Amino acid sequence: MEVKPLSITSIVPDAVARTDAHFFTEQQTATLHRLCEIFMPPLKGYPGAIDAGTPEFLDFLIGVSPADRQQMYQSGLDRLDAEAKQHFGASFATLDKPQADQLLQPWLRTWMTDHPPTEPYAHFINIAHSDIRTATINSEAWSQATAKGQQTQDVGLYWFPVDPDIRREAAAPTHRPIPAKRHS
Amino acid sequence: MAKEIVDVLIIGSGHSGGMAAKILTEKGISCLMLNAGPVADVHKDTEPKPAYALPFRGFKQPGILPHVFQANEFNANTWVDEKEVPYTYDSQHPYNWVRVRLFGGRSLFWSRQSFRLSDYEFKGKSHDGYGDDWPISLADMAPYYSRVEGIFRVQGQADGLPQYPDGNFVPDTSPWSTSMQRFVTAGKQRGIPVCKARSSLGVDGLASSVNLLLPDAFATGKLRAIPNVVVRELSVDKKTGLINEAHFVDRISRREMSVKARVVVLAAGTLESTRLLLNSKLANSSGVMGHYLIDQVYGPGIVCSVPEARDGKATSELIGGNALVPRFRNIDTKEKNFIRGYALNIHSSMGPMDPRNFAAYGEDLQKKLESYNGSGFHTSLMAEVLARYENHVSIDKEVVDAWDIPALRIQTKYTDNEVNMARDAVDTSIALAEAAGFEVLSKNYDPNPPGYSIHELGTCRMGDNPKTSVLNKWCQSHDLKNLFVVDGASFVSSGWQNPTMTIVALAMRSSEYLADQMRQGNV
Repeated sequence: MEVKPLSITSIVPDAVARTDAHFFTEQQTATLHRLCEIFMPPLKGYPGAIDAGTPEFLDFLIGVSPADRQQMYQSGLDRLDAEAKQHFGASFATLDKPQADQLLQPWLRTWMTDHPPTEPYAHFINIAHSDIRTATINSEAWSQATAKGQQTQDVGLYWFPVDPDIRREAAAPTHRPIPAKRHS
Repeated sequence: MAKEIVDVLIIGSGHSGGMAAKILTEKGISCLMLNAGPVADVHKDTEPKPAYALPFRGFKQPGILPHVFQANEFNANTWVDEKEVPYTYDSQHPYNWVRVRLFGGRSLFWSRQSFRLSDYEFKGKSHDGYGDDWPISLADMAPYYSRVEGIFRVQGQADGLPQYPDGNFVPDTSPWSTSMQRFVTAGKQRGIPVCKARSSLGVDGLASSVNLLLPDAFATGKLRAIPNVVVRELSVDKKTGLINEAHFVDRISRREMSVKARVVVLAAGTLESTRLLLNSKLANSSGVMGHYLIDQVYGPGIVCSVPEARDGKATSELIGGNALVPRFRNIDTKEKNFIRGYALNIHSSMGPMDPRNFAAYGEDLQKKLESYNGSGFHTSLMAEVLARYENHVSIDKEVVDAWDIPALRIQTKYTDNEVNMARDAVDTSIALAEAAGFEVLSKNYDPNPPGYSIHELGTCRMGDNPKTSVLNKWCQSHDLKNLFVVDGASFVSSGWQNPTMTIVALAMRSSEYLADQMRQGNV
């Protein structure tokens, strides 16, 4: 008997839904929102970071990330807001673009894969820029714009788990407490 | 069949295990191959997907594979999970141990760069007084290199340079793009050779054990293979003192089993082979097993733009192609602050530029990306890491993997020689690029962590002296004549060259020797 494929057409949640943000504080969220607007505005028919749901997606991503990445984002956003208040007497979320440029441009660097700036605040600014771009370009909204422009959609070869170990979660390695190691 | 004694047990299915299986079975010897992971089928196990359809929009899932910089959300399921098979290291000196346990191992995904070691590597000590010479030379290896290059269909061009030995090539007759020619000319003016790269074409898009080596072995009817079994330890016959049994555990069910064998060929990959021997407490009368861990420095390099290719003017005549700058330092000259040498990968592309090359964002960045699109020119480093006794691995008795097999502790670090070589490589790249009229956009002097190259070598090094080496020149254990280690563990020095051709040639040579020894009744 021939098994016919099921006629189910699925869409990704981002096509209709927004991410509920839980991780950053209200102030950090507002700072991140403005940072996304500045770093990646809509251009030439492509959505900006806001249209792509990037601030909410990053809230989710950083919220499930290791502690060092969380701390980098939280302290970076806090410092950005503190500098805005110090220089302009206003929160970063309310700055205009020229004001925001004054705070951001001095920290931009050129860098190569696996070697972002090491100074902590420069690290945050440049990593955040890269993450905002990646989250936006890899969004469903961006792919819609690509399709409208009749350009080839960017797809990659995804590997499913191959014969997964069904006990992977249960069979965590046993070890005695050892000093905390900082993974790269 | 229970209680069967196999002739040769091969542990590992990558390039070295695959070659051992091919040679031994073609000589009529029955082999059983064990592999720790499953058989992968690209038709069944993969699907083209856009990044937005993945759970993390293409970002690597946070917290997994922190030491596999090459991992992304698309390929994450191909790498060994670090929580399942952990390893430890000093937090001040991290190590990136990158593993694949799918059938075929890392041969499924390697970069294909295909080079011979030269006598500047085989006889490094004779050249500069450091370390130890290999007990073999290029002349010993040349016939095997030629046969391996034929199987892998290595494309290249003869250059007549002793540090970049010519081989059995599919001719590369492609012309240089104009930008590449400018770089070649800049090199020539400084006595730095810029040559055609050499790469395995393979067959049907793959240059792996699974398509080039194992099919020949299976065709003989003499190879049986078991996937999804993790070898726990090897044991010896108390009467003969020879290895006679492998104990393994089914990866999925956790059922413990064992199989007897007359000969064991370890091909699990440098550090897994050494880990197995250390856990088995075998073959280490010299005391050097685990020591002299080496790899290659990757990471430093530059990104440039070819000005004439900007603003829509890029053409395939102007931009494109690859080149290789083979080692040129410490050949006829003597550098002040490092010994040995490095190579540079050279690549130009009409593709989009990486935004991280421009300290800009928003509309400013967009303008830069449009202007510079198609003008990219890159160099990247592959450098020798000196073999040092103190760079070593041992068993960490505090940590076990998901099958309760004790984990490996890796203690290694780069020192001034590697750092100084990287600095010279980047400065040289900049000088050549500027002489060629390119604009340097980004540069990186810092090596990636040890292990990143995925070229870990040594820890069971070969040598003529059983007191200072684990294996003889045939990759045969000095202590146990029915034990061979045919992967990268036997290396004495790393060189700058991708080690695959050498690993496969050594496996071929050792397997032929083993077959002959078995025929004579010596093993």
